[in-house]
Amino acid sequence: MEFLTALSIGALFGIGVFQVLRRNLIRSAIGLILLTNAVNLFLLSAGAYDGFVPAYVNAPPGTASDALPQALILTAIVISMGATAFMFAVMIVISGRYRTSDADQVNGLRQ
Amino acid sequence: MNPSHLVLLPILIPLTGGVAALLLRGLPRLQRCWSLGVMTAAMAGSIALFAEVWEKGRPVVCRVGGWPAPFGIVLVGDGLSALFVVMTFIVMVTGVIYALGSRDAVVRYPAFHPLFLSLAAGLAGAILTGDLFTMYVFAELLVISGTMLTAASDDPFGVEAAYKYYYMSLTASFFMLLAVGCLYAAYGTLNMADLARRVGADPSQPLLLPAVGLLIAVFMIKSAVFPFHFWQPDFHSAAPTAVSAMLSSVVVKFGVYGFFRLTTLLFVVHAPAIRSILMVLGTLGILFGGLSAAGTHNLKRMLAYSTIAQVGFILVGIGWGSPPALAAAMIFAVNHSMIKAAMLMLAGVVVSHAPVKSAAFNVIDGVGRPLSGAKLLFFLGGMGLAGIPPTNGFIGKMLLFRSGAAGDRFGMLVIIGAAGTLTLVYIMRAFQRVFWTPAAEEGLIKPVGDSLLAPVLLIGLVVLLGLWAEPLVRSASEAAQWMTTPLTYVQAVLGG
Repeated sequence: MEFLTALSIGALFGIGVFQVLRRNLIRSAIGLILLTNAVNLFLLSAGAYDGFVPAYVNAPPGTASDALPQALILTAIVISMGATAFMFAVMIVISGRYRTSDADQVNGLRQ
Repeated sequence: MNPSHLVLLPILIPLTGGVAALLLRGLPRLQRCWSLGVMTAAMAGSIALFAEVWEKGRPVVCRVGGWPAPFGIVLVGDGLSALFVVMTFIVMVTGVIYALGSRDAVVRYPAFHPLFLSLAAGLAGAILTGDLFTMYVFAELLVISGTMLTAASDDPFGVEAAYKYYYMSLTASFFMLLAVGCLYAAYGTLNMADLARRVGADPSQPLLLPAVGLLIAVFMIKSAVFPFHFWQPDFHSAAPTAVSAMLSSVVVKFGVYGFFRLTTLLFVVHAPAIRSILMVLGTLGILFGGLSAAGTHNLKRMLAYSTIAQVGFILVGIGWGSPPALAAAMIFAVNHSMIKAAMLMLAGVVVSHAPVKSAAFNVIDGVGRPLSGAKLLFFLGGMGLAGIPPTNGFIGKMLLFRSGAAGDRFGMLVIIGAAGTLTLVYIMRAFQRVFWTPAAEEGLIKPVGDSLLAPVLLIGLVVLLGLWAEPLVRSASEAAQWMTTPLTYVQAVLGG
């Protein structure tokens, strides 16, 4: 199970990095989203394999799993949702103003 | 009021004030007065925190929610963080004053003041927190506020510069989350004091080195250190003047603060390796920043490259690592914030008088000649950047060089001394072009521009701290002494 998680984190990371390096702005933004998913899975794997029982107050007997990484992941998901929303807003303005989503064409600042 | 609640003030006041300012967006005059009042109240709170830390002689810790340290979030005001927060709010108050007197269209944008206040709250939170994940959250707030303020800028390339910065900063946040995951998997805690204890006890965990490397990369991107600086000149020159004065002066100090914590608190066992990296990067930054600043054709870009050089000096100080060098780096950071904010505001004043709103030298040539107040202030600020008495830039540079000589680092001293003279080159060239040579068309210079009150206050502080440097030097030296024994911090957070 750990191996499968590690494999999927690696695959998400690889696909995400590949997408980030593309020329089209929208595709590289999607790559960034995939990278955040990869890192959220990585945080999950830091605390998912400690116990077999959910971490409730009146939990059934047995070692409880670690609840803190799950809280960290929730916070990270919410923050990345806000960040993604802002990123799309800025991209809408850029594609409206520059009439393209090709990263090489958006270079008004080059001197 | 419990003295530990003082740590909450510099974060809560701008945050709630920013939300209230958003509710006031239909009443612009009230919103502007409210914003100035909130920022001044936050500055008073940060000065009260600094006075409490100074008086008590030990860090002030606030356990949010009452939960004890490794389980709950703690906010810690120790010598370094209290000093940096005071510096932040002094510069931010002058930033609000400049924005109130500015003639840009962006300061009339209804969300400008709420975003400015959340920028201040994000920076204060990132500096005052004692927990790595909270630092990530506040750093995200900082990044989003800065990006949105620049995207709304009058400059036609503001959106492009904002997108580039945002992209690189999101990558930096991704690295920080990865580092957080590595550290949690290896040590089971994210509280900085607890981490310091556990890393010191067991430095052989395999995930420690990746976490150290990732955190170094994060702080390098955040403070635009040499190889990861590519977003900085565009971003700091396309931002609105009030905002770019904050970004290039205090927001870059977040990365510097991170390096202080990495080498003196969190990863003391790997500190020698981190320090040698910082020394190399700092020297390269000084050379690169100086040469690039001397070669640009735009005043604001020149000042942005100059920030890379000055941050290089601070990194060299942190890299040397001895208590006098750490104190000198802190003093340099505080002084540079005031000087750079003043210089960027003066550049904005000149640009507001220019026929076209651009900071390119061939547009603003000679525009500053009739502005005698701005001329004098720019000259004083330039002397501060170059490190000439009686400004506080001289104090910072002298202490840095003295600590280098005491540590027998003569080779590096020669290199950075020579590279530091480049500052004189580009400042005097800019002064001559903008304020001395006659303008091409005198008639096109606008008679009324941005108000000079904010730069006057900052340059006044620059000269005052140059003549009366004792309080700053003493508090920085004491903070550096505390940093050499991380046990004080750890015990204040976990033990007491």
